[in-house]
Amino acid sequence: MAFRVENVSKKFISKGNIEVLALDHINLNIETGKFVCFVGPSGCGKTTLLRLMEGFETPTEGQIYDDDELVTQPSRERGFIFQDYSLFPWLNVMENVTFGLKIAGKPEEENKQRALAYLEAVGLKDFADKYPHELSGGMKQRVAIIRSVINQSRSLLMDEPFSALDVQTRHSLQKQFIGTWADKKRTTIFVTHDVDEAVFLADEIVVFTRRPGKIKKIYENNLPRPRVRDTQDFRDLVNQITQEIDETDE
Amino acid sequence: MTNITDKTSIIDLFILPVILIIIWYLICDVFMMIPSYMFPGPVEVFNAFVKLLLSGKLFKDIIATLYKVLVGLLLAAIVGITLGLILGWSKRLERISTLIVSILRPIPPIAWIPFSILWFGIGSKPAIFIIFIGCVFPILVSTIDGVHRTKGVLIEAAKSFGASNTQILTEVILPATIPYIVTGLKVGIGIALMCTIAGEMIGSSSGIGYMILTSTNLFDTGSTVVGMLVIGVLGIIFDYIFTKIQERIFW
Repeated sequence: MAFRVENVSKKFISKGNIEVLALDHINLNIETGKFVCFVGPSGCGKTTLLRLMEGFETPTEGQIYDDDELVTQPSRERGFIFQDYSLFPWLNVMENVTFGLKIAGKPEEENKQRALAYLEAVGLKDFADKYPHELSGGMKQRVAIIRSVINQSRSLLMDEPFSALDVQTRHSLQKQFIGTWADKKRTTIFVTHDVDEAVFLADEIVVFTRRPGKIKKIYENNLPRPRVRDTQDFRDLVNQITQEIDETDE
Repeated sequence: MTNITDKTSIIDLFILPVILIIIWYLICDVFMMIPSYMFPGPVEVFNAFVKLLLSGKLFKDIIATLYKVLVGLLLAAIVGITLGLILGWSKRLERISTLIVSILRPIPPIAWIPFSILWFGIGSKPAIFIIFIGCVFPILVSTIDGVHRTKGVLIEAAKSFGASNTQILTEVILPATIPYIVTGLKVGIGIALMCTIAGEMIGSSSGIGYMILTSTNLFDTGSTVVGMLVIGVLGIIFDYIFTKIQERIFW
């Protein structure tokens, strides 16, 4: 079991000293190698749960285990990809991509060779010495993804990584992600508010209720890969999940 | 700084100075309305400039002043940046130090002159001390500000790669803070020039400040004005250098 979320609640103190219950006694098991999407209305706590799983924050109640190890702080075994890319603006593409390897003390020359292979696979080799502000949003997110996958962590936690991109770029990155980076050994947890995206990517789709966030339902997504949006089964599943979310919205 | 793009703007830049010099020339040198021991005319200033230049005295004094400014600034940068990173990083340490910094900061560096002479005697050291006092606070404050403004997601990203606290400080917070540090240095060097002149007028026997003071005592007001203009030109040069550095920092 890659992740075990046991009875996790998270309270925040908002402005004016008001307590907000973001997550309410969540229990969830995620198997190793699965691609799991968290979907739900905005403010349902799906991002909060992802941040707790990384260890950026600690639960108010309950525990989270990653491979039977209690999560207490962020770890290089859990790559994290942010919505706004969060590339280091003072480093060029090559330096960004090799950042994690450098932190881990790996030899520089090897890191560069590895990074070049990753960049070449997505056509970014010629951009190795460009800086983030010289790249488009789609390129930035590809660099950010490579920066995480190159570390070969056990799992990859992704917080609405494609939501800031236009539809074409988003679709092409979804395909690229599944085709190039998704790895059967690596567990991926992907937060999105886009049901279509979740159905395209995930093995399992976890639907959250509005605040306080609880898990409403978990869908197994057995649609054959590579997935095609233009099929009845695909649309049916999207509609079913969308309805489920709309109900929680009322 | 003005962006000079074409001929007219170059002309614009010099219209006012040229007019002022002409008026000044008319008042002092043509109509002799002010005695030269009160204020020199442009001819006398020019003559003093040539004399100081040829004797090598001007060059020597500029070097003496620059030496003090740069050493003082360097010491202030080492202390200000290091402390700034630490205080910006640790909320607790910042709280502990905030009263001391708030009280020391508004004290004009010149108020430290008596102690600078008591502690360091005469020569370059008391002036360097005054410059240090003047520069260290702007550098410290903008470094702290820069640390505070470092984006949280960049620190979180580094943590997700397993970065230690030291690595976060050197690999993320320091580079993210560099634009703020440069701003602090730019403010600092302006203050440093002011402090140098004040410092040199008291405990020193070299530099532009010393030159201004001694020449005035000898009624050589031409040299006084040369000294003042040299300070202004040094200020422009430093400002230009730091503006160029700021332009190169794109994050």
